[in-house]
Amino acid sequence: MLVAVLILILSTALFFFYFQVTCQRILGRQFDREYFQSIANANRLEFPSLRKSLEEFDAPLDYSRLRMMLKCDFLALTYLLKNAANVNQRYSHEERLLILYFRWQFLSLALRRLLRLRENKAILKLTAVLQYFANVVGERVNAVKFGNLTAADYLLNL
Amino acid sequence: MDSSIASYVLQYSGYLIEGGLLLYLAWTKQWKKQRGIIFYLTALLVAELGRAYAGCEYGLSSRQYFYVYWCTDFPLVLSTFLLVWLFFRRACCQEERMWRYIRLVLALAVLLVAGISAATLSSNQHSLFSFFTVEFNQNLYFTCLVLNTLLYILLQQIQSTDEQLGLLVCGVGVQFAGPAAALALDHLTGGEQFAQSLVPSIMRLCTLGMLLVWGYAITHVKASKVVSRNPVLAEIHVD
Repeated sequence: MLVAVLILILSTALFFFYFQVTCQRILGRQFDREYFQSIANANRLEFPSLRKSLEEFDAPLDYSRLRMMLKCDFLALTYLLKNAANVNQRYSHEERLLILYFRWQFLSLALRRLLRLRENKAILKLTAVLQYFANVVGERVNAVKFGNLTAADYLLNL
Repeated sequence: MDSSIASYVLQYSGYLIEGGLLLYLAWTKQWKKQRGIIFYLTALLVAELGRAYAGCEYGLSSRQYFYVYWCTDFPLVLSTFLLVWLFFRRACCQEERMWRYIRLVLALAVLLVAGISAATLSSNQHSLFSFFTVEFNQNLYFTCLVLNTLLYILLQQIQSTDEQLGLLVCGVGVQFAGPAAALALDHLTGGEQFAQSLVPSIMRLCTLGMLLVWGYAITHVKASKVVSRNPVLAEIHVD
């Protein structure tokens, strides 16, 4: 019985470990350029400034505003992933996995808040996912040629 | 009705992805580089199709299906161990001395599992086949999970540049960890209907998860460059 309990705990922990590690490896993908900044500027997304303020200044944040900010950026980017320069109008498998990962980290942020633990790590993981989505959108839009339109101009016309 | 439809969708999606991956590897001529993956996927596909046939022909609660299931599980678990072995080999391709020790540890691990499984036979001599097969298979699956985790830690320690191998190892981890937890839960609850119905669903979901991670790793991520230590030899590219 004890062995079965140990196997259950260890296997469950390892399952979540491998899930997290797989998502981190997908997020570690290198893009040929930093597309996310132009996408964030075109759509007035706030995650780059949030990430900067946490990494460089470790500034204190208003929790409710932070949650709203992340949620709005997530909804905007998931819409763009599906609709901007996407022939299939569907999420890819890794995008679905990262969407699940984002939701899991969002829940983890709420739990950390409840248990009064440090939230910065969870926030940085969430912004990393958003940055990846923005880079994917930027890469796709960049691959589409629309005369003299830049990626930002194309997105504003969507 | 809905749960059986979902179950069929998972089952047939798995077959399609396995077949698709094998075709992709054949088309891109990666027989030598990805022999572990090809061997495991072939064993998995053959086992699953065999079980599906036996299930349809004799019924899921028949004796024939029981024997087909556990007889196909035995070569499948051995091919799983072989897969982990080949991943370790790939990780240690530039560390021959380390590979000699790891090879010994892996051989000892499988002998230990066989020994522990055989030692418990004394209390179950009336159901020799079923007990040994089930016990050995489950013990070796859990051992492969632990070995896979050790392999992941090894990849971090040696700072391996093989990103593809890292993702393949993560896929294997997802494939083993979920079912191991579900089987342990089934064992703890003494075969409660809820736990028993959970085990096949979790197994299919985790297998599907592994296949999707492998699909991403094989199609989107390049394997690392292997540079010979001998300065006289030319650089060898593995992509």
